Amino acid sequence: MDGSDALMRKSLVFCGYCGFAAVVFFIIGGVFLGGMLPPLLRADEPPAEFVRKINENLMAIRVGSVFLMVSFALFGPFGAGIAAQTRRAERLPVFSFVQLIFTACGTMIALLVSFAWALMAFRPDVYDASLVQFLADFAYFLAVFSVPCFGGWCVMIALPILLAPEGTAPFPRWIAYINLWAAVLFAPGQLVLFFKSGPFSWHGLVALWLPFVAFFLWILIMSAAVITASRKPDPLAR
Amino acid sequence: MQTAGGVDRRLPGELGIWMFVAGDLLVFSLFFFVIAQTEREHAEVFSRSRAMLDLWIGVANTLLLLVGSWFVATAVELCRQQRGAYAQRYFLYAILTGVAFVANKAMEWGARIADGITPMTNDFFMLFFVFTGIHLFHVLLGLCVLILIRRASVRPQVGPHEIRLIESGATFWHLIDLLWIVLFALFYLV
Repeated sequence: MDGSDALMRKSLVFCGYCGFAAVVFFIIGGVFLGGMLPPLLRADEPPAEFVRKINENLMAIRVGSVFLMVSFALFGPFGAGIAAQTRRAERLPVFSFVQLIFTACGTMIALLVSFAWALMAFRPDVYDASLVQFLADFAYFLAVFSVPCFGGWCVMIALPILLAPEGTAPFPRWIAYINLWAAVLFAPGQLVLFFKSGPFSWHGLVALWLPFVAFFLWILIMSAAVITASRKPDPLAR
Repeated sequence: MQTAGGVDRRLPGELGIWMFVAGDLLVFSLFFFVIAQTEREHAEVFSRSRAMLDLWIGVANTLLLLVGSWFVATAVELCRQQRGAYAQRYFLYAILTGVAFVANKAMEWGARIADGITPMTNDFFMLFFVFTGIHLFHVLLGLCVLILIRRASVRPQVGPHEIRLIESGATFWHLIDLLWIVLFALFYLV
């Protein structure tokens, strides 16, 4: 193994661990502190209730937002690692470039989630209550309504695997199906526009829990896949 | 792999499609739970709303998908026997049953909406439109898959790669069929 190979492997492993770290930071910031999941707020509550709950958990949400920002920024190297591994199996870098575009869009959208979440807890008593409610709406819409971006990212990971000639796919073929499955699971997120209560609202089982859990499971699986792939020879050299 | 009894013990398609099937079944199980739980809380709304659905449209859709699945299974068997010319005909019939399902569903939804019933009407119709809508999305995806595997079935040489693709696509179509049967029972019958 020459020096460039060793560096390539270390780079991919680094990207894979960034994915794991993103999940850990989300669990700390979004689950334990920030009240994003399980949702502290409900889409069908009046604005004054939003302000009351946020004031009650002000410091936890603020600290949680910092962790969320770190978590979402890590999507960049995580996505770049998947694209780099896809690139290893391509003669012309088409899907890897498309993946990078989706990575950049997805990272930006996710970062805006933490911006909205942080602003919501910045001065909830000064902002009009409906503006506080709007920031919570905006955060959840960015997170789950952005299906074509995150779902499209998954499809762009799956296609080069499924289309590759035998033995030259960048990842095992089952990874492609996992990505297609993830894309399907993100889809109910689009329902949040139509419902303010029940399982299809942004605090509901189908429109929030399903896409969120699927998304972070997907990150764990893809992170492990990138790390595993880093130990394998170039797909085109096999 | 052929056993002594001549039974094919090989996993049809590939591992990935079965992981997809298992995953989708898991998610739909969650949907079924949501339906059952909501029915428990709003039993009266459910029985009143269910009476407003046309049972025979549901029966027709069930039959369309069952017959479609039979066409697909027959086509797959013909592909294994290297009889692609016949197989593509059966795939076409299956595609037609899928298109008929979509048309029937569009007419059913159109009739309900014309009656002033929308997903906002009550909890039953909220679940009905959303979950049959998600299933319809699967049917549309399935039709794309059937078109793809029909094209694979007419290649001059249907080798192991084509068979893997055809079996995987067929497995997805059967999943759509299975999911509908449960949705049909929950929305039209129970």
